[in-house]
Amino acid sequence: MKRFMSEVRKQISLAPAWVVLLAWLAFSVATVGWIFAASLSTTREIFTYKLLNSGLHFENFRSVLLKYNFARYFYNSLIYATVSGVGTILIAAPAAYVIGRFDFPGRKFLTNNFLVAMSVPIIMLIIPLYGFMVRLKMIGSLGTLIIMYIVTSVPFTTYFLIGFFSSLPQDLEDAAFMDGCSQYRAFWQIMFPLASPGVITVGIFNFITVWNEYFMALIFANTTETRTLALGLWHTVQSMRYVGDWAGLFAAVVIVFLPTFIIYLLLSRKIIAGITGGAVKS
Amino acid sequence: MRPTSGAAMPKRTNRKVKGQRTFIIVSLAPAILSFLAFFLYPVLRTTLMSFFDVKGLTDVFSSWSFAGLDNYRVLFSSQLFQQSLVNIFKIWFIGGLVTIALALFFAVTLSSGVLFRQFWRSLLYLPNTISAVAMAIMWTQYVYSNQDFGLFRRVFSRLGLHSLANIQWTGADYLFTSMLIAYCFGSVGYFVLILMAGIERIPGELFEISRIDGASLFTQFRKITLPLIRSIFRTCAVLWTINALNFFIWAQVFSPFGNPNVITPVYYMYQSVFGATTQISTNLNVGAGAGVAVVLTLLILLAYGILNFILPDKTYEY
Repeated sequence: MKRFMSEVRKQISLAPAWVVLLAWLAFSVATVGWIFAASLSTTREIFTYKLLNSGLHFENFRSVLLKYNFARYFYNSLIYATVSGVGTILIAAPAAYVIGRFDFPGRKFLTNNFLVAMSVPIIMLIIPLYGFMVRLKMIGSLGTLIIMYIVTSVPFTTYFLIGFFSSLPQDLEDAAFMDGCSQYRAFWQIMFPLASPGVITVGIFNFITVWNEYFMALIFANTTETRTLALGLWHTVQSMRYVGDWAGLFAAVVIVFLPTFIIYLLLSRKIIAGITGGAVKS
Repeated sequence: MRPTSGAAMPKRTNRKVKGQRTFIIVSLAPAILSFLAFFLYPVLRTTLMSFFDVKGLTDVFSSWSFAGLDNYRVLFSSQLFQQSLVNIFKIWFIGGLVTIALALFFAVTLSSGVLFRQFWRSLLYLPNTISAVAMAIMWTQYVYSNQDFGLFRRVFSRLGLHSLANIQWTGADYLFTSMLIAYCFGSVGYFVLILMAGIERIPGELFEISRIDGASLFTQFRKITLPLIRSIFRTCAVLWTINALNFFIWAQVFSPFGNPNVITPVYYMYQSVFGATTQISTNLNVGAGAGVAVVLTLLILLAYGILNFILPDKTYEY
């Protein structure tokens, strides 16, 4: 009882936090909840405050996916996020392993270069790269943006994985070499699987980042065949506002945010641990 | 926004394994080559380009004509560009203060024992995992909407606050403020995570002892928490700087036709070099566009310098 009272007293002393947090929660739930409900209603219901009055209107989603080409955009985003995610790991993991576990001249310099690359603003890169891609006749294919996503994710991914590889135990690696295992096999079959918690965390993270990326998509993939969901959403909203299709507009918003929203609901613990894990220098 | 990893780099002894040199080179080559081709080369070329008159995006070097500092002169005499610099400063400074102060409030209160800490932390971080375009559209088309179903409009008129209900949140007068509020709302959670990780590293005994000595929560915060998370403040400020100076999506969604009140350097550069569908019609050459990128990079460096001055890298042992 005494413990309980002291707990209550503690929560009361934190009243300002409770007020702000509850207001934050109410606002978030009201906004996301309303948009979900609006996406399944008709535009007339939205204007008369009678959401969901005539049942669930899944045709909003059907029209967005088919008429407004979102099915294609969804497919494109999925391809961009998965292919560039795998490509990034294939390039970054071996580099991180070597930097984390071997001593060679220029190791520190290399790490610093990756760090600097992380603060270079994207607009510093896009003019020459756009010209480059045009000359290679790559504009208008999915490959262009995949390459862009891979190269811009590699510095951070490598940096993130160095810590994971350098903390793995030495014994297994040594045993593999004793058995005459080549270094390539030792890496891909023994060390890489051991670092999988780090690889998965950074993989989820890169997937979400690419899924939500907008600026490079706008520059390198602004055709109906190559557009990402986020880019398609922006275009569609402009025309839907014009014709007054509000129900369709909110359905389009839901289609864009639902995938990462679900990933986050399922994996929030892992994602948060990945972000805070190395944030504090030890 | 990305996780931060303070990668530890222990020194390794050289093991003599056959073919080790080749293995190192083969493993590093793709990462180094992509760095050279997709970071170093464009950075150098963009810098060079900013001193040349370049007519088209795909022009080859031989067709550029040297222009000295002309591009920079044109940029700094452009009112729109000046406005974009003022805007980006306000976003960086005011937005940064509000976001990190709010994040600190949440981080401190959540680590001092608010129930359901995990839940609140996940809730605050949620906007970071959602597409910024979708977030910005939720704000402009629902929360701030001046249609009758707009959230603020309905809530305030229900409460009888008609002057608040009639505010044109996305009209020219309030556009910048509305945009900054929405942006900060979405960014807070990331800094809450980083600050909480820092606070929870502080040994509990420090708080215990000071509590026995009769220190209030506020004194504890001022005398213990704040000095000990100094280096984490730096991390936050650096991360905020990188994200804020690249500000673009929110400006484009809040103002599809390029209202000067919300224009930022990236938006300005995008409009003048890549897009031509808006009110902002500049006849900039591509070299001046490259100049915007160079100015932005210098601004990031300047911001780092200012941060170094305000928050020198001084850490306490504990």
